[in-house]
Amino acid sequence: MEHIINSLEQFWQYTGFANCEWQNLVMILIGIGFITVAILKEWEPLLLVPIGFGMIIGNIPMFPGLNIGVYEDGSVLNILYQGVKQGWYPPLIFLGIGAMTDFSALISQPRLILIGAAAQMGIFGAYLLAITFGFLPNEAGAIGIIGGADGPTAIFLSSKLAPDLMGAIAVSAYSYMALVPVIQRPIMLLLTTKKERLIRMPAPRVVSQREKIIFPIIGFLTTAFIVPSGLPLLGMLFFGNLLKESGVTRRLAETARGPLVDVVTTLIGLTVGASTQADKFLTGKSVLIFGLGLLSFVIATTCGVLFVKLFNLFLKEGHKINPLIGNAGVSAVPDSARVSEVVGREFDPSNHLLMHAMGPNVAGVIGSAVAAGILLSFLG
Amino acid sequence: MKRTIIRTTVFILLLAGCFGGTLLRSQNVSDLIISEVLALPDSTSIVDGYGNRNGWIELYNTSTGTVNMGGCYLTDDRNDLQKSLIPKNDLRTKLGPRQVTLFYTSGNAHQGTFYAGFKLRPGSTVYLVSNDGRTIVDSLQIPANLPAGKSVSKVPVDRKALRWEVDPGVEFPSPMVLNGSVGAETNAQRMAKNDPHGFILTIVSVTVVFSALAILWFLFWILFERPAKRKKKAEEAGKNAPAKLSDLPKGEKGQEIAAAIAMALDLDGNGDTVAAISMALHLYLSEALHDNESYVITINPKTTSDTPWKNPARSFRRLPR
Repeated sequence: MEHIINSLEQFWQYTGFANCEWQNLVMILIGIGFITVAILKEWEPLLLVPIGFGMIIGNIPMFPGLNIGVYEDGSVLNILYQGVKQGWYPPLIFLGIGAMTDFSALISQPRLILIGAAAQMGIFGAYLLAITFGFLPNEAGAIGIIGGADGPTAIFLSSKLAPDLMGAIAVSAYSYMALVPVIQRPIMLLLTTKKERLIRMPAPRVVSQREKIIFPIIGFLTTAFIVPSGLPLLGMLFFGNLLKESGVTRRLAETARGPLVDVVTTLIGLTVGASTQADKFLTGKSVLIFGLGLLSFVIATTCGVLFVKLFNLFLKEGHKINPLIGNAGVSAVPDSARVSEVVGREFDPSNHLLMHAMGPNVAGVIGSAVAAGILLSFLG
Repeated sequence: MKRTIIRTTVFILLLAGCFGGTLLRSQNVSDLIISEVLALPDSTSIVDGYGNRNGWIELYNTSTGTVNMGGCYLTDDRNDLQKSLIPKNDLRTKLGPRQVTLFYTSGNAHQGTFYAGFKLRPGSTVYLVSNDGRTIVDSLQIPANLPAGKSVSKVPVDRKALRWEVDPGVEFPSPMVLNGSVGAETNAQRMAKNDPHGFILTIVSVTVVFSALAILWFLFWILFERPAKRKKKAEEAGKNAPAKLSDLPKGEKGQEIAAAIAMALDLDGNGDTVAAISMALHLYLSEALHDNESYVITINPKTTSDTPWKNPARSFRRLPR
């Protein structure tokens, strides 16, 4: 009898109930909140569902030392987590992004590239603010990259510069990417006049297949020579795009933008979520990171819109750019471009800005990868 | 097409020319250097596993990959390059990136993996020899006047270009410690010291991001947009010029022909034109008009890549079900 009671006692000590702390429950509730928002509101469901469920997995209270936790060497979750920790997953996702992105809008109007550059100011604005709030430069750089609005880039850089903050940074980046329509619209309306919102841009020219093939090669050579530290992201992005555009590697391109990116997205979401264990995540720093992340999105959108207005001062009538596409420099593809389209049509239902906005949008992807490379070379 | 290819080639060559100085290095024993040597120990020198004070040789892996030094040799004799073998089957001979290791020059290699079979003396030269037993990977000369307890070391002049300078006047030997102070500070720490508010990094980074994307803009403008604009202009200019009959659409072509016939008939005085046109129309309508065939069969190559001959997906055998 005593042996049975001892066994039951021992079993009890191994249960989640015996090891539970209130922080675990808070994190589990946050995870459930993510899943709920993803399903009911359809906000970034492909990311928020795995992250939300990962949060639940990572915060199940357990007896330490059983070699099952995400931070315990050799556990299944730990092995899967290496893709995040060592930075394998983000370049693979970039391969898929390259294979699914059509750069025609950018090639047809190369001047829109500069809007993508202007929106990267969000990264450096957040960096300056993070330094002011007392973060170390490497931590500030990792926080700043939230402003790039690019989840894989944020994970890649934070895994190199500030692994301890990676969970908060990744969750913050993906959350704000899901909230792009809510964050950007008021800023766009605040910074533009009615007349500016009605600007009609000439239709982009048709881009030839030859141009589409040359683009990834030239784009890669240029950016990689300037910022070699961005090589894993830039290389994979442009390689994926070459697979898509070459016309002779259709199967590879389909795999890269289909099954491969799906598998990696699932694993990255799940493991990033699992890495947000209560003791590492529920800190004052995380709250600050969320605040700075929001500010970085605001700065990025503001700079993108203001840059277009500034640019317009130098452009002839008939060639002016609608400032409503300035927000699309924030590289949340294609959400921010969609916001441009929706806001533009509110004021002129026949003025379609989507194709124009896709130019700065994909330029933002390149710009944020370049910015990540620069931060890595200075602070890595 | 040719122009674009030439432009692209020139651009690539320019890049290669500008950055041609960057060398790629393989990660092998050639990445090892003798970073520090102590010939004669004194009472302050470190003690080995046997409790003895010996001279020592410190090796440093300059590469960013692990290097296996098993099978290499250490020697102080130019004529006997295989004097002391570094054992092959010891996992500890794998030296991690930017790491150092120490070999005691006790004179007895049987004491362990990290013991060399010779004793050092001031004035001699230490050689690290590759595992082929012939190639000298690195060497370091010990000054003849080096006192006991003092070491000669190589300090990094430029770690990225991998240039090292011999420093014979080291105040304190530093076995198993990276020489030079550069490695002691991380980039972030240096940045925190030199740029506490982050303004410099911000200005530099924003400039680089803008420059990188502005270069892309310029390249696409010169490679694609400008030629496209020129082509468009040329096309527009062509539209204003009188159109050729063959360029006209079908409906307009008929009207043009009718107008031409009417004008010809107006000018015709003797009925020759009427006869010629009637003959042509008769031949055309009675389908008597026919080309003279050359009787030569020509097979033009298909330009598309999607043929059964070119597409491996079609030519490969399907997987059995």
